[in-house]
Amino acid sequence: MIEVSHLVKWYGPTLAVGDISFAISRGQIIGFLGPNGAGKSTTLKIITGYLPPTSGQASIDGQNVLTAPEAARARIGYLPEGNPLYPEMRVTEYLDFRGRLFEMPRAQRRQRIEYVVERCGLSAVRQRLVGQLSRGNKQRVGLAQALLHDPPVIILDEPTVGLDPNQVVQFRKLIEELKGQHTVLLSTHILPEVERAADQVIIIAGGRIVAQGTPAELRRQVGGNARLRLEVRAPAPNVERALKQLPGVAAVETSVAEGWCRAEITPRDGDDLREAVGQVAVAGGWPIREISSGGAGLEQFFVQITAAQSQARAVAG
Amino acid sequence: MKQTLAIAKREITALFYSPIAYVVLGLFSLGTSLIFLGFFRPGDAATLRDTYFWVIWLMIFLVPAISMRLISDEFRNGTIELLMTAPVHDGQVVLGKWLGALGFFAVLLLPLVVFAGVLTATSRPDFGPILSGLIGLILTGGFFLAIGALASASTQNQIISFLLAVGIVSLFTFVTFFLPKTTYVPDDVRQVLNYCNVNAEFDNFNKGVIDWPNLVFYLSGIAFFLFVATQVLQSRRWR
Repeated sequence: MIEVSHLVKWYGPTLAVGDISFAISRGQIIGFLGPNGAGKSTTLKIITGYLPPTSGQASIDGQNVLTAPEAARARIGYLPEGNPLYPEMRVTEYLDFRGRLFEMPRAQRRQRIEYVVERCGLSAVRQRLVGQLSRGNKQRVGLAQALLHDPPVIILDEPTVGLDPNQVVQFRKLIEELKGQHTVLLSTHILPEVERAADQVIIIAGGRIVAQGTPAELRRQVGGNARLRLEVRAPAPNVERALKQLPGVAAVETSVAEGWCRAEITPRDGDDLREAVGQVAVAGGWPIREISSGGAGLEQFFVQITAAQSQARAVAG
Repeated sequence: MKQTLAIAKREITALFYSPIAYVVLGLFSLGTSLIFLGFFRPGDAATLRDTYFWVIWLMIFLVPAISMRLISDEFRNGTIELLMTAPVHDGQVVLGKWLGALGFFAVLLLPLVVFAGVLTATSRPDFGPILSGLIGLILTGGFFLAIGALASASTQNQIISFLLAVGIVSLFTFVTFFLPKTTYVPDDVRQVLNYCNVNAEFDNFNKGVIDWPNLVFYLSGIAFFLFVATQVLQSRRWR
């Protein structure tokens, strides 16, 4: 549905996107993940036909964005970064304008406006001026506009920036509902945003794809980093010795605070060691305060990439 | 075409929502009224010729105020991204916006219709020149607005857009009006300057004559500046 091959974009002497290729099949939700300045928005702007690439190709549903720009654009619903809107227009008036730009016949336009207003929860504010809406509602207008012409591809650039946690949850739910009917390309710099909903995650940093796959695949790929934490009341050397004897443990770090020993355990190859570690604690007769998996390995991986990129930039700068 | 009209319609609505539009509307009404009253004396010929002549000078400053936000505002708001990722050609964007501004400008001319009414009430004016003059004013407005569209496609800054438009419009008015009147300009240069002078082009309309050369001047000028504006808008994709 979306095909991108060897995309390169230079802004003057600055390389924003360096040779990005990927293909997305119909009906998938794709998380496009990367730290700020990684080239996410630039890639999306090229796919939507707003910016021409320095080299490379992008096509939507077989329509090349450079050689058949209007046909390609007609197949995309786009919510740009920052959700630009005309503040002086009313919600339905704005949607009607967008419908006209996409050459929707009058009857279809009316019907689709009703549908997206309902779907995006805008019924209560449909006659209000866009400029007077809350940020959450503005975001809904942005999404409604992207859905309006029922495009096969929907591209959302950082759609939840600036929303409060409650609005983020609601908005994420809206996006998850699109699965199956539309191909959704969702860019974000917040990992949990895509980890649950996305069929595929593409992580980019420094204008290049650094990892790609389903969330589960990626987790497995970086699984070696998923650490385990154990906090028990016991002498640290004893804890360390006992844990190191477990098969599948690569390294153990211990520290002591307020009489509690905290051990950070790195498993060898993504094994789930929680049960074994629990048994060690029980066998030692140590009171347990905490045993937890060090969260998403993906998260750590992502943090590493981000850190590496900003370091590289600091060196370069 | 429908898309172009949709853009034009949105533009008129947006203009009526902007405070600048009302300032321009107020100043234009005030200006034209003063000009009209200044020439409205008992016993004088019942025409709007002198009024029209001076309205052109007023338009040099007021028309760029209408067009200054035309495209620059879209860049400032970021809405240009949605406009340029819709299945619309860049030329349609420029044309639609220009049409919308022209529609607003036509509303500005309403006081002149009122003055024509005043003349009819007080004597028996010749409607030919009044009507052809109005057509000339709309063409002149369209010409200035096309220049304004180019200026506003070139910058995000409305003030720079305004000044740039006034600058270019001045070439076709002040510069080409006064320079040929000086003695040290060679004759052939003088002819070129005269041809490029909007005031001179308008003069025929004001006399009640609608002639091809004048129409060609206005229409080709409008087409030229809208074309360049489209090129500038397109080139901004590449930056």
